[in-house]
Amino acid sequence: METLRYASRHGHGLALATLAPAQIEQIHQASCRILSEVGVLVHHDEAAALLQKAGAYTDGSGRTYLPVALVEWAIRTAPSRITLYNRLGRPAMWLEGHNAYFGTGSDTLYFFDPDSGERRPWRSQDVAAALRVADALPGIDFVMSMGMLEEVDKRLHNRIQYALMLKNSSKPQVVIAEDDKTLADIIDMAAAAVGGREKLAHQPLFALYCEPTSPLQLPYESVAKLLLAAERRVPVNFACGALAGATTPVTVAGTVVQANAEALCGLVVHQLKNPGAPFLYGYGDSPLDMRTMQALYAVPEALMLQGCLCDLARYYRLPSWGYAGCTSAKVFDEQAVVEATMFTLLGALQGCNLMHDVFYMESGRTGSLELLVLMDEVISRVRFMLRGVDTSPQQLAVEAIARVGPGGNFLADDHTADHFRQSWQPIVSDFQTYEGWMAAGGQTTGQRIAGRLRQILDTHRPAPLPEAVEKQIEAILQRAQERL
Amino acid sequence: MGKYSQLADLVLKGDQPQVEQVTRQLLEAGEDPLQIINEGLIAGITEVGVRFKEGELFVPEMMRSAKAMKAGIEILKPAIAGSDIPSAGKVVMGTVKGDLHDIGKNLVIMMLESSGFAVVDLGIDVPVEKFIAAVQEHRPQIVGMSALLTTTMPVMKQVIDALSRENLRENVKVLVGGAPVSAEFAREIGADGYAPDAASAAELCKQMVG
Repeated sequence: METLRYASRHGHGLALATLAPAQIEQIHQASCRILSEVGVLVHHDEAAALLQKAGAYTDGSGRTYLPVALVEWAIRTAPSRITLYNRLGRPAMWLEGHNAYFGTGSDTLYFFDPDSGERRPWRSQDVAAALRVADALPGIDFVMSMGMLEEVDKRLHNRIQYALMLKNSSKPQVVIAEDDKTLADIIDMAAAAVGGREKLAHQPLFALYCEPTSPLQLPYESVAKLLLAAERRVPVNFACGALAGATTPVTVAGTVVQANAEALCGLVVHQLKNPGAPFLYGYGDSPLDMRTMQALYAVPEALMLQGCLCDLARYYRLPSWGYAGCTSAKVFDEQAVVEATMFTLLGALQGCNLMHDVFYMESGRTGSLELLVLMDEVISRVRFMLRGVDTSPQQLAVEAIARVGPGGNFLADDHTADHFRQSWQPIVSDFQTYEGWMAAGGQTTGQRIAGRLRQILDTHRPAPLPEAVEKQIEAILQRAQERL
Repeated sequence: MGKYSQLADLVLKGDQPQVEQVTRQLLEAGEDPLQIINEGLIAGITEVGVRFKEGELFVPEMMRSAKAMKAGIEILKPAIAGSDIPSAGKVVMGTVKGDLHDIGKNLVIMMLESSGFAVVDLGIDVPVEKFIAAVQEHRPQIVGMSALLTTTMPVMKQVIDALSRENLRENVKVLVGGAPVSAEFAREIGADGYAPDAASAAELCKQMVG
C-alpha cells in the first residue's frame, strides 16, 4: 500500500508543475473577477438563498455575483484531504498531495465485445463482467458505471448501475445520479453495504460526480445533488466538462479561468450548506474540433488544463479530480495507445488525486476493456516511477561496487540477487528475443491482452456481498420502482 | 470586381462592418434588395459552404460569415417587407424540457442557417406543448430536438407522441441528436433521423426537404 500513497516517496522526486506561482495567482484572480463581475445563473432556490444570505448579490436579470471574501472563505473551510474506503471497510485511497489514483468511466453507449470484437450496446451482464475486470486489475483503484444499460427502465438507470457496481467490485466508486432522489437511494444502498448511514458518512465508499452547465449556470438537478452530498458528507465535485471553443473559451488559460470559477462557485454553495463537508476540486476539457465538431479527448490542451487544475488544487489545498487513460480513437489502435498512455503518465506526474475515464474510447461513446487491461500495465509502469529513486546506502551500493571492482560482473554478486526482484516486471509486454517469442507462439500485445482479459473474465470472483445486503439493495430498488 | 461579388467576398471574409456598409450603399444606390440577398449575401455564404466542405474553412470562420450575412439581411428586411426571404426550408429546433444545454443545438442551427434554412429556435428547456404550438404556428418541414442528459431523452418521445396526437406527425420530419442519443434510440422512439454531429444534421435536413 505504501507505494500507492505518494507521487514520490521522497515528496518531490517525480512531479510536474504546469503553472508558475505567479500564474496560479493570475488565474485565481481572473476567476474571482468572473464570479464577482460577470456572475452566475443559479437555477435552485435554496442555493440562491444560501448565497444571498452569505452576501452574494442578485440583480434584476437573475444573475448572482459572489464576493471574493465568500469564495476564499469556502476554500479555507473545505477539508484539504479525503480518505475513500472500499466496500470491505478498509481505507483505499488517500486523496491528498500528489497521490495519483485511477478508475474507469461511466455511461458509455457501446463497448467492444471481448469475444466477438463487435461494437455493441451494453446489457447488464456485460457491465457486470466489465466491473469484475476493473475489480481484478491491480492498477485500477476505483470503479464507475462503465456503460449505459440498454434493457432497463431508464428512470432507474443509475440506481441499477450502482447495484451492479456494489455487487461486482469491492473497490471504491465514483457515481453519477440522475437527481437527488437517485442519490438518496444510492446512499442507502452504500449504507446497507458498509453498515449504516453514520458509518458511510464517516468512511465514504463513493464520491459523486456532478456538473455545472457551462458557461456559468448552476442547474437545478445538479445543485440538488450537490446540496444532498454536502448534507450527507458524500465527497462531491462540481466539474465543468469543458468543450473549449463552445462552452468555455478556446484557449487553455481561458478554459481554466471559467472552469475554476464554476468549480469554486459549486464549492461555495456546498460549504454554505455544510461547512467542512468533503469536496473534490477538478474539471476537464474536451476541446471542440473546429472542423468535425467532435469533443476531443486526450489532446495536448486537455492534458495541460489538467496540469493547471492540479497546481490550483494544491494552491487551494483541495483534493483533485481529473482524467486519464482515455482517447478519441474509434478502435483500440495506435492512436488509442498514444493518447491513453500520455494522459495516464502525465496525470500521474501532475499528481492528480482521482483520475477517471480509463478505458474511454471515441471521446466517451465507447468503452474498451482491452484498453483497460493495457492501461493497467501503463499504470504499473507509472507507479513504479512515482516511487522515485531510493538513495539509501543499500541502494547506493558502494559496497557492492567495491566488491565487484573494476572489470568484474554484478550478475553473480549478492547485491543483484537481493535486489533484482524490486525491478519493474511486465504484465502484458514481452521481453523475449524474436526467436523465443516466435517459439512461444508469436502473440502480439493485443493477443496477450485478449488472453489476460479472457482469463480474468473466467476466473475472477469479487468479494461477495452478504446475502442480507443483497436483499436490502433489492428492496431499495423495488421501493424506487414503486415510487415511480 | 462586380458590386455583388464584392459583397459576396466580404461575407466569405466574415467582415460584418463592411458587409453592413456595402449592403447599405447598394440599397441607397437603388439596387433590388432581393438581388442583393441572392447574388451578394447568399452567394457569399454558398461559397463558404463549399470551402468548409473542402476543409479550407473551419466552423468558427463559417459562423463569423453567417453572422455577417445575417447582419446584411437585417438591413434589407424593411425594404422587402411583404415578400418572403428565400430559404431552403423551415426547421423548428429546441433542447427538450429539463435540459439547459444548447451548444449542440446552436451549432446545428448555425450549420442549417449557413445552408440556407430558416430556423425557429425555441431555446432550451422546451416543454412538449411549446414544440406543438411552434409546429402549428410556423408549419416547418422539420422538427429538431436535442438532449444532453439521459434523464431528458424520454421527452423526445413525448414530443413525437404529441405530434401524432395532434395529427401533425405526417407533416413534419423529426430529427434528434445529442451526446447520449444513438441511432438505435432514434429508431426506438420513432424519429425520422438521427445525426451524430452538426454537419451531418444539416446534410440530413437537406435530404429530408429535397
